[in-house]
Amino acid sequence: MTRRGHLLLILCLGLLVAGVSVYLSERRIKEYRSEQFLMDTLVSIKVYGDDAAALPVAVAAAYGEMHRIAALVDRFPLTGTEECRRSDVCRINAMAGIAPVRVDADTLAMLLLAKKYQELSAGAFDVTIGPVMDLWDFAGENPKIPASSSIVATLPLVDSESLEINEIESTAYLRKAGMKLDLGALAKGYATEKALQALVRQGIQKALIDAGGNIRVLGSNTRNAPWRIGIKDPRQGDALVAIVTLEDAAAVTSGDYYRYFEADGQRYHHILHPRSGYPAHENMSVTVVSQDAGLADLLSTAFFVMKGEEALALADKLGVNLVLVSAAGRIVHTSGLAAHLEVLPGGAYRYDPR
Amino acid sequence: MTRGDKLLIAAVLLCAFLGLLTIYRHFVISSDQRFPAQATITVEGKVLCTIDLDPAAGQELMQIAGRLGPATVEVADGKIRMREANCPEQICVKQSWIASPGSTIVCLPGEIIIHVDGPAPVDAVTR
Repeated sequence: MTRRGHLLLILCLGLLVAGVSVYLSERRIKEYRSEQFLMDTLVSIKVYGDDAAALPVAVAAAYGEMHRIAALVDRFPLTGTEECRRSDVCRINAMAGIAPVRVDADTLAMLLLAKKYQELSAGAFDVTIGPVMDLWDFAGENPKIPASSSIVATLPLVDSESLEINEIESTAYLRKAGMKLDLGALAKGYATEKALQALVRQGIQKALIDAGGNIRVLGSNTRNAPWRIGIKDPRQGDALVAIVTLEDAAAVTSGDYYRYFEADGQRYHHILHPRSGYPAHENMSVTVVSQDAGLADLLSTAFFVMKGEEALALADKLGVNLVLVSAAGRIVHTSGLAAHLEVLPGGAYRYDPR
Repeated sequence: MTRGDKLLIAAVLLCAFLGLLTIYRHFVISSDQRFPAQATITVEGKVLCTIDLDPAAGQELMQIAGRLGPATVEVADGKIRMREANCPEQICVKQSWIASPGSTIVCLPGEIIIHVDGPAPVDAVTR
């Protein structure tokens, strides 16, 4: 055989080996997916691995964690019911102005996180927003614009300074009667992170959790490439404004388009500025990319109420990344995402790569 | 070259071609959207039906029974939406039309899921 013939043979053998290995890698990995209605949203968990029997067990453990966190933070069961006794948030709210309440380690962790970032965001995020949220009644039958006098009268109850946390005793206390915790801006992300930790404990190395658009990925995708996560266009049905690539990280979005009502031709959405008591109007959506889904959930709400430049500066300081669509239709992101973000053309937005 | 050599070379060439085909399938075809879009409607965890999202077909209205009562799904121009639903917040109705594979409309209180099937351009969507 000639030298060329040998080279050709080696090339062919190379292709053969590559083809066989791709075929085997496709065959070996198994997928298990499951969906549940949970925490006021649809949660979908997909896990991948070689051991088909282990996958459903791991997913059940993950849902178990989410149900446990959901029960701890449920804010609306009636006082005195079994649901309220199981909910730390319900008991803390019922005992506001009366006495501290002993809470679960996870409730304590969420409250410490909330308090820390209330300070770091200079009040852009506040977990004691409950009384003002109730005035707007977004989750109710007829959400309405509250009288400005009642907002003004209620704002003093939004006061994280009056949330006392005792780590040694594992207690939490709202000092003023009428104060109410609302963990809606971080509980879903926190629960997502706990679910992911449960998957890891069960030996899972590749997974995607989608908790109503809060995304947390483990490892890389089935092609052993980073997961491709679309960022929803805040105004167009199912269009995307960008695609971010992720490995072992979370992407969580806060937007003005999900839970809202319209009155007098104006849109009133559910993300309130803790200092004004009215829906924040700086942005249409903010997506936070971070290692931790709980932090990403909390910060997406904090950044949403801030001006774009302030949000970018704080994100840089905290070492997290964000993509923001401002109310004026400008798309900006932190420089850390430059290599992981593809802004899609064709939308009604102006991309500003800074 | 003996007859055996020739056979061997032919076998290696054939295997290499199959290898190339597998690689092609893995990296090229599967990222392609070559199937006509379909939507699956799930109510209370059970698949109710699958509908073709054929752009050429006319408007179609479907009455379905959600957990909270009736809902109307509309299909037109290759898109699908929840036209009416018996739920307080109307999030599913406000979401309007969807058509891209991987997109979903969820009515939480009614436990209704409309999912556009087919290979999605992304693994998930943050919203």
